Amino acid sequence: MNGKTMAFLGQVFRDFYYKNAERISAPIRMNEREFGYMSFNKVMVRHLSFQKEGELRVFLIKEAPHSVYYSCAYYHEPTLAMEEKGWKGADLIFDIDADAIPTDCKEEHNNWVCKDCSLMGKGKRLEKCPKCGGMRIDEENWVCPLCLEATKSEAIKLIDFLLEDFGIQKKSIKVYFSGSRGYHVTVEESSFEGLDQMARNELSDYVSGVGLSLESLGFSKGVSYESMYGLLPLTKDPGWRGRIARFFSEMEFEDYDSTGKDNRDKILYIYGKKGYKGFVDLVNMIVKKLSAKIDVMVTTDIHRIFRLFNTLHGSTGMIKKECDDLIPFDPLTDAVVLGEEPIQVFVNHSPKFTLKRNLFGPYKSEKVTLPLMVAVYLMGKGAARLVDYE
Amino acid sequence: MEIEFGIEDLAKYPFLREAGDYVKELDLSIEDLIQEDYRPAIEKAKKRVLEAIQKNFISSEISEADLEILSFPLALMLVKAIGIDYFMYRYSLAESLRAERLLEREKEPIIFHIFKSAFNVEAISIEHSVFDFKVNIVEYLKRATNFHKPEWKLINRVVEKGFVYLKTHELVRLIREEIRKMIYGRMKSLSLPKMPDKLKEVMVEISNALPPMSSKELQSVTPGNFPPCVTHVLDLLQKGKNVPHYGRFLLTSYLIGIGKSVDDVIGIYPKSPDFSERLTRYQVEHIAGMRGGRRRYKVPSCRTVITHSLCFKDKVLCAKIKSPLQFGREPIAPKRKATRSRKP
Repeated sequence: MNGKTMAFLGQVFRDFYYKNAERISAPIRMNEREFGYMSFNKVMVRHLSFQKEGELRVFLIKEAPHSVYYSCAYYHEPTLAMEEKGWKGADLIFDIDADAIPTDCKEEHNNWVCKDCSLMGKGKRLEKCPKCGGMRIDEENWVCPLCLEATKSEAIKLIDFLLEDFGIQKKSIKVYFSGSRGYHVTVEESSFEGLDQMARNELSDYVSGVGLSLESLGFSKGVSYESMYGLLPLTKDPGWRGRIARFFSEMEFEDYDSTGKDNRDKILYIYGKKGYKGFVDLVNMIVKKLSAKIDVMVTTDIHRIFRLFNTLHGSTGMIKKECDDLIPFDPLTDAVVLGEEPIQVFVNHSPKFTLKRNLFGPYKSEKVTLPLMVAVYLMGKGAARLVDYE
Repeated sequence: MEIEFGIEDLAKYPFLREAGDYVKELDLSIEDLIQEDYRPAIEKAKKRVLEAIQKNFISSEISEADLEILSFPLALMLVKAIGIDYFMYRYSLAESLRAERLLEREKEPIIFHIFKSAFNVEAISIEHSVFDFKVNIVEYLKRATNFHKPEWKLINRVVEKGFVYLKTHELVRLIREEIRKMIYGRMKSLSLPKMPDKLKEVMVEISNALPPMSSKELQSVTPGNFPPCVTHVLDLLQKGKNVPHYGRFLLTSYLIGIGKSVDDVIGIYPKSPDFSERLTRYQVEHIAGMRGGRRRYKVPSCRTVITHSLCFKDKVLCAKIKSPLQFGREPIAPKRKATRSRKP
């Protein structure tokens, strides 16, 4: 990003914070949290603290940073060095990122670029550049309504685990679109607050289906069907057992007729047909389908900082936005807050993309005049630069 | 639900506060206890200690409830008086195993009450074909992460609306370590009264019957005798201040080096909210040579301690030592030399 583009984005962000200061609200227990920010020239500043909402608003207008973060953790002294802060507890946070969810659309809108010879290609990043053999390859990830919808589905599965299995109250769960590629699901003011890293690891393994043993579902190798029958899961069972039983009950399997039989008969029938190995593979596939694809590292990090809600994401110009109703939430419209005044930019390259229900691009090495929200989106991503007004 | 413990219950679980209250109400002095009437309680206490340390087992048969209750604090006193950490650990473990056996057969309201009042865990009994109790998921996780078998992983449990379902023996297993720590902690903080000769005799009888320990295990070093570098690290820890990684290594390897148990070392680290016993245990066991390469790490030399800016040399006491381990032993050596040099 060149200096002029940086200065322009800074000014746009400053204007936004100035005109929308009342949108900025403090997280609960603000004075116990660490704050941090990144400037447009990518300098990271941490260990800050704010006592009042007003201070935070003034800070945003003054600094107009690329990104603003706050800690999930509560500390005695948030401004001291990490080891000296005195950890009191942390919100339980899950992060779901579109990049981690396999969708076909990525072949369409993701690119890789060789940093050595500038060769570009579509789809997933390659290990090695096919032209020069270089290993320094950058990935350029874009999002589209399809992959963001898939990300939302993962969030919905996660919330079901939180409500039904972990017994977390609906009012304690807040869902945010991150402002770029995914969702943050935050649990505040709960008894989970004091849990350490290892306990959080158990929670993240639970929702992502890691470590589920067949024995816990009632299967043991070399045991007769009769002895297994009573241990198999029922559709009404809670937790993972119930989820898996319901999946079996609803799945179509060859010509199996379930009339008058319960789901355990069906499970044993499939087990018999598939054999142990085939059945294990099937269960693994089911677990993969039913689990929520969260970023495990995020949940287990009890000192992590997260983007502050209602603030701008420097890479997109969209805001991190709370989703009151997740199902109809449309991130590429509802999180767009910048205006539509025309701005001339030079776009290096971009695939086709959607913003506020309008299609833009593809662009390649061309000068275009675009609405501010789109120009900032492209500049933030590093795909465009401001054209000089001379 | 408020329930009253009977004397039989207290005899089964003498570590409970209620059992302590029962003993207090008897208002017995140590002089009273050495009278002939209480001889059976002392004998029982002796049996408790010997069984625990020799066989890692304390009988759960109860002949006379009040003697049983009384024998528990007496046993704590005897083990403490022997003054070896390892025995305190063995004893507390055996007591917790005894409690585990009894609790597995216990009535549900008693289990509920014990877990609630002693450990603040609500074990709610349930009507279920497989499980007997449910506990809050957070209380479960705080404890179950210490176990490594797959059946303790949350994903392999039945979890519903914030509760984890458990069979009685699983619930008891979940809490057992806390019973051990509670008893161990009680012994640690016990201030010993002046022992009458009769009790000293019992102590000698016990000591004679115990397995021989190496001189290192028997060596008792108290914080006051630690070298200043170790004291400094300990001081920082206790004040909740940041301790550099190498400082922790120095402290741990030193304590292991003077014969402290892994549990003792872990016990020294303050329990801040982000303290992870499992992680600390792993690191301490690593240094003690119980994990990884199975090699016990040596205590760093004074020269290395200086390199890491952790040396707070005492001009007199540290004058002639090359390793923190030699601290406090030095005064003995020159005397011996002196004696030898006076010969011929």
